[in-house]
Amino acid sequence: MEAKLVNPFVDALVAVMPQMGFDVPKRTGIGVASQTCTSLGVSIIVGFTKGLRGNVVYNMTEDAAKFIASKMMMGMPVDDLNDMAQSALSEMSNMLTANAATNLAGLGYEVDISTPSLTVGQDFKIKISNENYLVVKMDLGGQMMELNIAVQ
Amino acid sequence: MQRIKVLVVDDSRISCAMIADILKKTNFDVVAAASNAAEAVEKYREYMPDAVTMDMNLPDANGIECSRRIREIDSGARIVMISAMKDTSLMMQGREAGITSFLQKPIVPNDLIDALTFLCQEKLSQIGQLKELYVKSFAQVLEKSLFGLVGVHSKVSTEVASGHYLEVTGIAVIIGLTGTPTGRAIVYMDHETMRKFARALVGKEPEDDMSDEDASDAVEEAANIIIGHGASVINDLKEKEMRISPPGTIVGRSIRIANFKMTSFRIKAETRLGDVFLNIGFAEGE
Repeated sequence: MEAKLVNPFVDALVAVMPQMGFDVPKRTGIGVASQTCTSLGVSIIVGFTKGLRGNVVYNMTEDAAKFIASKMMMGMPVDDLNDMAQSALSEMSNMLTANAATNLAGLGYEVDISTPSLTVGQDFKIKISNENYLVVKMDLGGQMMELNIAVQ
Repeated sequence: MQRIKVLVVDDSRISCAMIADILKKTNFDVVAAASNAAEAVEKYREYMPDAVTMDMNLPDANGIECSRRIREIDSGARIVMISAMKDTSLMMQGREAGITSFLQKPIVPNDLIDALTFLCQEKLSQIGQLKELYVKSFAQVLEKSLFGLVGVHSKVSTEVASGHYLEVTGIAVIIGLTGTPTGRAIVYMDHETMRKFARALVGKEPEDDMSDEDASDAVEEAANIIIGHGASVINDLKEKEMRISPPGTIVGRSIRIANFKMTSFRIKAETRLGDVFLNIGFAEGE
């Protein structure tokens, strides 16, 4: 898949996260992986169709997820990843993917996005592609969020 | 007829019994009762009822405070306040906590039924519509596809999926639905069923070797076909433009998939290979 498809997703993070009180996220790594990604603990899958078909997975540790949820909830302490926190994270992934969809339209790909599926568990793998997919690591105020982008 | 789940919060057992008796011959099921605010919050989380009847006087907090805590878990919670007093100040405080319906004790049976029906009207019609428009088609396609793919007959049942999570030990194939309505479908089954299903799909004998990776690939492919057919049937019949994203396939133990802001249905197909489930959820407000 083409590396240029990374930018719409990275740009979405850079545009959306500061609106929710985060520092501007920095890209700390990029790579290619094959077929399956290993969940870091909390993985949110959002599918897209139409001009491009694929999945994006927002993958993070439970600590990173708590940090993000707390920040989104105006600094409210998040000791465990309760329903409110998970709801906030789902909302975030929805906003990020919607913004990425707008950016993709700018590149000539019109896409529709599905509802996010937030998945929590220990040591599970997600197969998101039959081929290679792109991995981008983003630094969000000291916490890492991994983006796995698979396009058919 | 769709059953509507009700949680009764009242510290008097007599009152709880009276409410349960009033609702006995209606579409409302009293799924749980709580005698204090802490228990009410716990039971709400556990049962995720469609509506709550709330007594004003509880031993550990008043009904308004209790409603506030419930709406922290679920901002869309539908609550009917039942109290001996019904004055403007109480109603104003109640409205601030998100309560829109107030009844005075002693409860007039028809008033309670009317209040609950009114509160759940939208939910009732939304569930009915989604079921009629989409879920029925997916249930039929599931039954037909299971026969076509692996040659098994199945007994298919559909219910509204309750709870905030879907817990899976085994395989879950998640496929996004876009267009109108937006949502997602999850085909899932336990490990044992996955292995039997995959062998049947590729025509292997039960004792033949097959890696779990190959088995999950086979189930993924089957799920993709089932959801693809379901979406095509809907597009043909209802002139919709539902599209499906490629599958995301998870294999593991005690995986929890959240069900937020979605109206979800669980279609269960009982087969001789094991139970095959299809959870289909639509974003609320669609």
